[in-house]
Amino acid sequence: MSVRPADFPPPFSAGEFVTEPSDPAHERIDVGVLIVGAGPAGLACAIRLGQLLEEAPGVAERLGDVPVAVLEKGKQPGSHLLSGAVVNPGALRTLFRGRLATADLPFLTRVHGEGVFYLTRRRALRIPAPPTMRNHGNFVLSVSELGRFLAGHAEEGGALILPETVGEQLLVSGGRVVGVRTGDKGRGRDGEPLGNFEPGSDIVARATVLAEGTQGHLTGVALDRFGLQGESPQVWALGVKEVWRVPKPLRRIIHTLGWPLRNGKRYREFGGSFVYPMGDDMVTLGMVVGMDYRDVELSVHDLLQELKTHRLIRNIIGGGERLAWGAKTIPEGGFLALPSRLHGPGVVFCGDGAGLVNVPALKGIHYAVESGRLAAEAVFATLQGGETAWRPGALERYDESLQSSFVWKELRAVRNMRPAFAKGFWRGGMKAGMQTATMGNVPRGNARLERDAEVPLIRSNRAARYPAPDGTLTFDKLSSVYASGNRTRDDQPNHIRIQREVPVDLAELWTRMCPAQVYEVGDPDGEGTVEVQVTPSNCVQCGAITARGGRLTPPEGGSGPEYTLT
Amino acid sequence: MKTLVFLEHHEGELLKPSLGVLSKAASLGGEVAGVMAGSDVEGLAAQAGAYGAGTVYVADDPRLDAPLPQPRVDVLAQVVQAGGFDNVFLAQSILGADIAAGLAARLDAGVNWQLTDVRADGDGITGTQPVLADTVVCEVGWTSTPRIALFRAGALDASETGGQATVEPVQPELQDFSLAAEMLEQAHEESSGPSIEDADIIVAGGRGLGGPEGFAPLEELAKALGGAVAATRAVVDAGWYPYSAQVGQTGKTVAPKLYIGCGISGAIQHKVGMQSSNVIVAINKDPNAPIFEFADLAVVGDVNEIVPKLTELVRARKGA
Repeated sequence: MSVRPADFPPPFSAGEFVTEPSDPAHERIDVGVLIVGAGPAGLACAIRLGQLLEEAPGVAERLGDVPVAVLEKGKQPGSHLLSGAVVNPGALRTLFRGRLATADLPFLTRVHGEGVFYLTRRRALRIPAPPTMRNHGNFVLSVSELGRFLAGHAEEGGALILPETVGEQLLVSGGRVVGVRTGDKGRGRDGEPLGNFEPGSDIVARATVLAEGTQGHLTGVALDRFGLQGESPQVWALGVKEVWRVPKPLRRIIHTLGWPLRNGKRYREFGGSFVYPMGDDMVTLGMVVGMDYRDVELSVHDLLQELKTHRLIRNIIGGGERLAWGAKTIPEGGFLALPSRLHGPGVVFCGDGAGLVNVPALKGIHYAVESGRLAAEAVFATLQGGETAWRPGALERYDESLQSSFVWKELRAVRNMRPAFAKGFWRGGMKAGMQTATMGNVPRGNARLERDAEVPLIRSNRAARYPAPDGTLTFDKLSSVYASGNRTRDDQPNHIRIQREVPVDLAELWTRMCPAQVYEVGDPDGEGTVEVQVTPSNCVQCGAITARGGRLTPPEGGSGPEYTLT
Repeated sequence: MKTLVFLEHHEGELLKPSLGVLSKAASLGGEVAGVMAGSDVEGLAAQAGAYGAGTVYVADDPRLDAPLPQPRVDVLAQVVQAGGFDNVFLAQSILGADIAAGLAARLDAGVNWQLTDVRADGDGITGTQPVLADTVVCEVGWTSTPRIALFRAGALDASETGGQATVEPVQPELQDFSLAAEMLEQAHEESSGPSIEDADIIVAGGRGLGGPEGFAPLEELAKALGGAVAATRAVVDAGWYPYSAQVGQTGKTVAPKLYIGCGISGAIQHKVGMQSSNVIVAINKDPNAPIFEFADLAVVGDVNEIVPKLTELVRARKGA
C-alpha cells in the first residue's frame, strides 16, 4: 500500500491564526485599507487606490493618517518575488494609463521570436508553439525588479509600505475581518522572547486586501474561516530558476517539454522548462513541475541541473556565470480551484493568492495587476459611498468586475487543460488541443482536480541520474540557497508544520522535493517510520511543503531569500 | 590628520581587536591617540604605546567600572571635541558598536561599520566594507568629520612598533542620563580557552563528528594548541554545541592564523565565516567534500582517529 502525504496531515489549524483585536486602543495601528503582500497584485491595488484618493481628498481624509498600508514579509518589496517571467503588458498599461508609457516600465526584453522544443536526452525537436504559448508582443522582466518599481510608485501615491512585517493572524471581530495582527520578532527557538523581542501589533483597517501570492498564509486561513473553498481543491507546480550572465545574447524565448521529465502515465510528471533573455548579457532559465508527481526521488532543483547539461541549454549558458537562484510554487488549479467568492466580509483576495494563473499560457502577473486594480476600485467605491466594507456582500462589486474582465473569460476557456495532464503527457496534449480549438467549449463540463497531497507515492531510481554538482554548470542545493541571498536567523522558532515521524517514502519525498535542503531523512525509529530533520532557516518559502502534506507559516519578518534579479 | 582609537579592555587586558585597529591607525600616519575608560586601568594604558599610540587618554573613574556604553560616549565625545580629532576608530564588539552609535548621534557624525580595512586618501580616509554576505567589496567614505569607523573583529592584525605612549588623564564629565543604566549582573560563558573571535587557532567540528561526543577530542586538541573550538550551523542546529561557537553566514566570522576543520563538508554558508583564515586544514573522510577545494592542507581520513593522534603529537612537541 503506497503512502499518500495527505494521510500525515500537519499539526496546524486555521483557528490558531484567527483572533480578536487585543491591543489596547491607543496601541493599535489604524489604517484605511490594509494590503497584505507587496507583489504585483498588492502594489497595483495600492497604486490604484492612491490614484483614486488623489482625486477624492475627502475620502482620503476620512481614512485617517494612513489611508493605505502594505505589509511585506521580505526584507524589501521584491525580495520574495520570483517568476519566469514573460509578461503581457496590457494590465500594467491600464494601471498607468495617462501616467506612464510602456517605455517607462521596467521591461527587459521584448519578445520577437520563440521556440518550443520537445527534448530527449540528446536531441531537441522543434514543435509548433501551442496557441496559448504564443508570446509575440509580450515582454521579459524580473518580477522582483517589477516589485521594487511598483513599490516606488505606490509610495509616491501615498501608500505606507512596511517591509519585514508578517501578516500572522487575521483579526476577526463579529464575523468580520477588521485587519491583521503582525508577527512577533525576536523569539528564540522554543518561542521564548530574546533580548530584542518585539511583539506584533494589531493593524485595524476599514478593508483588508489579501494579496499574499502563492500559498498565502492568511488567504488560506480566511478561505477556511469563511468557507470559501472552490469547486476543486487548489493544486500547485514548483518552479526552480536561475539567472545567468551569458557570453552571447539569446535572441528568442525558449520553452521545452519532455526530458528530463518522463512521459509515462505512472509517473504523472507534468511540466517543462523555460529560457528567456534578460537584455543582451543575461538569461533566466527554470524548470517547472506539477506537484502531483509521484516519484519520491524527483527533485525539481536537480532536474534543472540535469536540464542544463542538455546541448540546447549548454550552448546558451556555457562559459557564463550563475548570478541568482530561487524557487516558488505556482497555483495551477486555475478556474476550477478559484475560491467560491473572491471576497468575504471586509476582505478581498487578489492575484496568485486567489489562484488567478493561466497555466497553459504560463502567465499570472497581468492577472495579479488587474485583480489588484479592480480590488482597489471596488474597495474605494464601497468606502466612498460611506458604506462599511464589513457588511456581507459590500465587496460583491469586486467579484462582479473581475467576472466581466478578460481574466475570467480567459481562465474559463482553459479551465480543463491542467486536469487533462493527470493522464500523461500525450493524452493530455490531445485533450488540451481539443479545448483550444473549441475555446474551452469541449468538453462542456468541468474536470475535477485531485489534491497534490492525495497522490500515492512511488519510488524509482531517478536520483542516481542527477548530475553531480560541479560548481560551474551544476550546483548543489546549499550553495543555491546561498545564491538566493537567504540569511535567515537560525535561532528562531520553526515555522514549518509537518509530522516529524513519517514513513521513509514521505520523508524522502520532502527531502528531494525541497529545493532548499530544509528536510533530511533521519534515523529509523524501529516502527517503520523515520524522524524528519528540519533546518527551517534554509527555507526560501517556496510553499512546496504546503502542497504535499505540510503547512508553511510565516517565519519572522525579514527572513527568507533576498531576490533581486528573479 | 588626527585619529583616536577606542581601546577596549577586559579583565586586565587590552583586547586584541582594539590593538589591531590601533596598529592600522598608526600605519595611516598623522597623530594617533588611544582612549580608555574604566576603573584602575592606568597601568594598561601604557601598553598601547607599543602598538603605535602617541598619547593615551585615560578616564579612570569607579563610575566607569561597568562596561556600559553611555558613560563612554561622554568620555569619547569630550576627548574628540577637546583634541579636535578627525577620525574615531573602534573595533566592533557589542560595547564598541553601542559606543559608535551613541557617539555618532552625540556629535552628529557618520559611522561606517563592518570595515575590514582603511587607507589614507588625500586629506581623508577610505574604508573597505564587504557587503551582501561578503560577495561584494565596497569602498566607503564619510561626508563630514569626525569620521567614525567600526572594524570587524579579527580583520586587522596587531603589530608591535615598540613605541612609548604618554598617558594623559581625563576628568570625565558624565551626564546624568548616562548614569541611568546600572550593571546588575555580569555573566561569563564557561570556556577554558580564548573566544573564537580572539583565538589564533580554531578547531572546528561539523556533522562528520557523528554526535555531540565527537567534540571532546576537538576540545582536547584546541586545549593542546591553545585555541578555541568552533562549530558549523548543522551541529549547532542539532544541539551538539552551543550557538555562541557557530561560525558562518548566520554565525560568527573568524579569521584565525590556523583553522582546522574536522568532519566539515564546507558548504558556502560555513565558508563565508572562515575563508579569510590564514591556513585552512581540513580533515574529512569524503574526498569529494567541497572544503578540500579551498583548504591549504587536505587530510582524507577519519577525524575520530586522526584528531586524538594529532593531540598526542602536539602535546609531545610542546612538552619537549
